[in-house]
Amino acid sequence: MRNTLLELKDIEAGYGVFRVLHGVSLEVGKGEIVALVGPNGAGKTTTLKTIAGLTNLFKGEIVFDGLRINDVPPHNRIRKGLALVPEGRGIFAPLTVLENLYLGAYHEEARQKLNDSLEMVFTIFPRLKERKNQIAGTLSGGESQMLAIGRALMSRPKILLLDEPSLGLAPKVVSELFEIFKRLNDEWKVTLLLVEQHVKNSLEISHRAYVMESGKIVLEGESSVLIDDERLRKAYLII
Amino acid sequence: MLPSPGLIFQSVLDGVFLGFLYSLIALGLSLVFGVMGIINFAHGDFIMLGSYLVWILANGLRSDPSFMSLATVPLFFVIGAAIYMTIIRPVLGKEPLIQIAVTVGIGYVLQNFALMMFRAEPRAVQTTYLNLYLNLGVVSIHLAKLISAFLSLLIVLGVHYLLTKTWVGLAIRATAYDREVASLMGINVGKIFLLVFSLGIGLTGLAASLWMTFGQADPYIGSSFGLLTWVIIALGGLGGVSGLIASSLIVGIIQSLTMTLVSPTVSLAIPYVVFIMVLWFRPQGLFGKV
Ligand SMILES: Nc1ncnc2c1ncn2[C@@H]1O[C@H](COP(=O)(O)OP(=O)(O)O)[C@@H](O)[C@H]1O
Ligand SMILES: [Mg+2]
Repeated sequence: MRNTLLELKDIEAGYGVFRVLHGVSLEVGKGEIVALVGPNGAGKTTTLKTIAGLTNLFKGEIVFDGLRINDVPPHNRIRKGLALVPEGRGIFAPLTVLENLYLGAYHEEARQKLNDSLEMVFTIFPRLKERKNQIAGTLSGGESQMLAIGRALMSRPKILLLDEPSLGLAPKVVSELFEIFKRLNDEWKVTLLLVEQHVKNSLEISHRAYVMESGKIVLEGESSVLIDDERLRKAYLII
Repeated sequence: MLPSPGLIFQSVLDGVFLGFLYSLIALGLSLVFGVMGIINFAHGDFIMLGSYLVWILANGLRSDPSFMSLATVPLFFVIGAAIYMTIIRPVLGKEPLIQIAVTVGIGYVLQNFALMMFRAEPRAVQTTYLNLYLNLGVVSIHLAKLISAFLSLLIVLGVHYLLTKTWVGLAIRATAYDREVASLMGINVGKIFLLVFSLGIGLTGLAASLWMTFGQADPYIGSSFGLLTWVIIALGGLGGVSGLIASSLIVGIIQSLTMTLVSPTVSLAIPYVVFIMVLWFRPQGLFGKV
């Protein structure tokens, strides 16, 4: 039996009065890597933003770590252990690398562990240490993504929500990144909900996966099973 | 007849003193704009209102206007908070035109209130200890102007320290850049807005006290302060305190020189002429990045 960390129950959510998600249910267990894939415009980003509290939630329930968090404002969700690495990274470009990392540890509990967390992040991403006093806007694409992930880790999250972290990165950097996800999960025991375009890579490193289309979950299961699914192989040209 | 070098030097010095006070005024405006994206067209009118308050208090208590900042700063901070909650917060997500209408409206109300209460005559306070002149031969330094310049610089640097060296400053800069991601960091963006707006208005309370140590209150100074500070912000480019101070000094000196060499009436217009010329040659401002 899975030890559930995050559960979405029949979620309808969107922007303003416009609904994007039409009854999404999904579950992430403690220690899992769960992939969420699907075509552009399917509602993957909206799903992650809904978990972070950045959309209008019309119906359904979000339960995190045993608590219903529907009404918890976004700035209090990170305290509870939810960290979103947003699409496009959301780096504070005019601030330094170190200042960006500090911001990840803004809430009190994380602030107390600031130095430990910094050491952890610099162990995982040594390149951030070399560049800690640099203006974040001058980092390369891969380094920015590492900063975005490092910043999220500074909050000591129970779950990391990653929105297309490999977008716009060179193939070599992408495989490096997927290695890091596995390491985060294995060594640092971080639970991951991963939205990705690299379907094959994601299915290879994840335990389970959901496929989303037009605001609905259309397929779900063990990643090792899904990777051989005919429909999926056709739709995403997995060879 | 050519003006004497002493006269020019005196004028530049007065411009520098004025410039530092301008930087204090521009700081609050630029913070509110930089963090919240709100152009506060009533900013100058808060200084006007503060100047009258200082006039009343200083006369009533027979004390120096500079001491009145102990009352005006906290009072204006609270007024700023109240205005944010009741008037600014509801229009935060709205179109720029609505936001402009709201702050222009506040300024208009304040100006008409002052006209009704105090009529259009200028009012000044008799300064006490600050009304001394230090005679240095070529130039003489008005102590009130020197002290107000010094205090302005001190506060501007203090705010700079707050922004660059503290957690709340870090949160303010993050919010200015990207509110949504800032909220993901655990920053309560609404609280940051409340703080920044209150601070911006609170600083006008201080500026008013310092202004009244040598200036006058009249219902229209708000408009001149408001426009001047916009020129300063446009020249300096948003962001850096050093650019803000430099452009404040430039505007102060230009204004003071035209007042001495041409005429006081022209001195109000000249900074705008310079502003338009800068826009031609450096649209990003004198110190702004491309
Ligand atoms: N801020 C927004 N306001 C209104 N509609 C949006 C917004 N963001 C996304 N949408 C709409 O929601 C749908 C799903 O978008 P998104 O969640 O970004 O999909 P995905 O991440 O799977 O590509 C799209 O039709 C998109 O146009
Ligand atoms: Mg997306």
